[in-house]
Amino acid sequence: MSINKHRNILDYTLQSLLRRKFKNTGIILVFTFVIFIVSSIILLSYSLKKEAGLMLKYSPEIIVQRMLAGRHELVSTWIMTTILEIPGVSKVEPRYWGYYYDSGIKANYTIIGIGDSGIENNRLIKGRMPSAREKNVAAIGKGIADARIDIGDSLNLQNSEGKWMGFKIVGIFESDSEILTADLIVISEGDFKMLVKMPEDTATDLAVYVANETEIPTVARKIKERFPDSRPILRDEIIRTYDAVFGWRSGLILTLFAGALAAFIILAWDKATGLSAEEKQEIGILKAIGWETSDILEMKFWEGLVISLTSFMCGVILAYLHIFLLGASLFAPALKGWSVIYPDFKLVPLIDFYQIAILIAITVLPYIASTIIPSWKASITDPDTVMRG
Amino acid sequence: MEGFNYRPGYCDERIGMIKTENITKHFNKGRPDEVTAVKDVSIVIKKGDFAVLKGPSGSGKTSLLSLIGCMSRPSSGRVIVENRDVSRLPERFMTAVRRNTFGFIFQQFHLIKGLTVSDNVMLPLYPTDITPSELRKRAEEILNTLGMAGRKKFHVQKLSGGEQQRTAIARALINNPAVILADEPTAHLDTHLSEEFLSIMRNLQQEGKTIVIATHDPLVYEKEYVNLSIEMRDGIVRDAVRKS
Repeated sequence: MSINKHRNILDYTLQSLLRRKFKNTGIILVFTFVIFIVSSIILLSYSLKKEAGLMLKYSPEIIVQRMLAGRHELVSTWIMTTILEIPGVSKVEPRYWGYYYDSGIKANYTIIGIGDSGIENNRLIKGRMPSAREKNVAAIGKGIADARIDIGDSLNLQNSEGKWMGFKIVGIFESDSEILTADLIVISEGDFKMLVKMPEDTATDLAVYVANETEIPTVARKIKERFPDSRPILRDEIIRTYDAVFGWRSGLILTLFAGALAAFIILAWDKATGLSAEEKQEIGILKAIGWETSDILEMKFWEGLVISLTSFMCGVILAYLHIFLLGASLFAPALKGWSVIYPDFKLVPLIDFYQIAILIAITVLPYIASTIIPSWKASITDPDTVMRG
Repeated sequence: MEGFNYRPGYCDERIGMIKTENITKHFNKGRPDEVTAVKDVSIVIKKGDFAVLKGPSGSGKTSLLSLIGCMSRPSSGRVIVENRDVSRLPERFMTAVRRNTFGFIFQQFHLIKGLTVSDNVMLPLYPTDITPSELRKRAEEILNTLGMAGRKKFHVQKLSGGEQQRTAIARALINNPAVILADEPTAHLDTHLSEEFLSIMRNLQQEGKTIVIATHDPLVYEKEYVNLSIEMRDGIVRDAVRKS
């Protein structure tokens, strides 16, 4: 079959689209908006999951917390020796960390006290990290630095007794994931204990490293057996939790934009349930003057493809810019979480074939189908009936 | 005028361009609003005829024209075009017969609004292998012949009634059909434009095309060059007169 026929039909399709330019522009705008919302949610939740993956790349295989009356309590460091004796455990380290609310900027910092082993997964941009026994110095994440302070400045934090402690900023760092460093302050282990008044021989939790991945559940079970008030958390469990959290938040956003989605569904339904009298008559005319059903379906296919692909491209490009250049400004507060410390939260651009396939499956394909089906119904009847009707 | 008496079931045994054999067409079959638009009609239209289907509104003229032009299928009976029974052809082949044999001129013109005159004229040949440049060339030639060259880039809704009809004629001619079918073509035209239309049809007939017009306008069916006059009423052929 010659290419000319398809070229002619495509030519007519474009004329047809231009003929109804106001209607089609309206459809494209609505459809673009809907695809923009859906794409933004998908891109953002995928990117956040990716961030979570980066964040957990250096995390220990097991974190051991102590539970008291169902709540997280400080853990005694003396149990480290017993845990280290469990076969398969290669290293056990105490972790010192907590949150600090800064009423000045109404945001939470995450504060980490580092010991001799230092802190992994961070790259210094400027300066240095505090050493384990150094006093009144701090390194800060890039997010805080961008927001307010720089090297050489002083950061004042109020301890649990209400007294102010001053910390000189000696370093600024970043990591693969900005989630990790955006609100992070690193001080020495000693300063941390003073700041929160943490008793000696206790830690926030313990990091347990297991060399062989298949032994992780067994090690976790043995820790639980030896210390019934402990809660060993596996890295895989954390990943699943992140997935669930971001999935839930995606659902929340989808609910917020349910109105836009409903508008699209109504639009699609309107297209799917029938053609206007003018469109039916046009199909009748085309059939009467010698167009085959397949020619009409081809025309309608091109029509649906042009509209839905234009909307798709516009929607996805806008969503990409929104998420990765503008920091998902429209709905980042709901999806990114609990803090307002992320002034320049930039996600790692991530878009793959799977996401594109999902978006096409839920937007382009239904639209094309809703365009073709009523046209097919109109074009299989005798043109005489269509023209009279 | 040499006439012949119409008998239901009568068929001219000579091979005709278009022949119907006892065709009947029901609409809404089996429902309370069932209508039999055409009942047991057998006619022969020969190549080069200037045929008129006449009768009052609702007599079945348009339905018969639609059956002849392969726009609908008879409920019973056969339609034979160029010695071929087209009434049971698959839709695809029926469309091919329609496109290659007939040119249609509708009562309401049925031009597509928003398209230019030239685009409307080219419509029947879009789903063919003809190149776009050849399409445009053919359209321009026909529009020239009909005195519409100056209007080719006008949108059809901006044309006068006569110009719209000439556009419809040009569209009917673009595929160089053997048969022109026109449904009440003068219904919306004044006498001058009606005469102009008939003159164009007469020229086409003289070029060898077969003309079939459904009309109740005496201006059409009383023309001396009408050589086949088929009178219909209530879906049946009351009389069929062929001039020698």
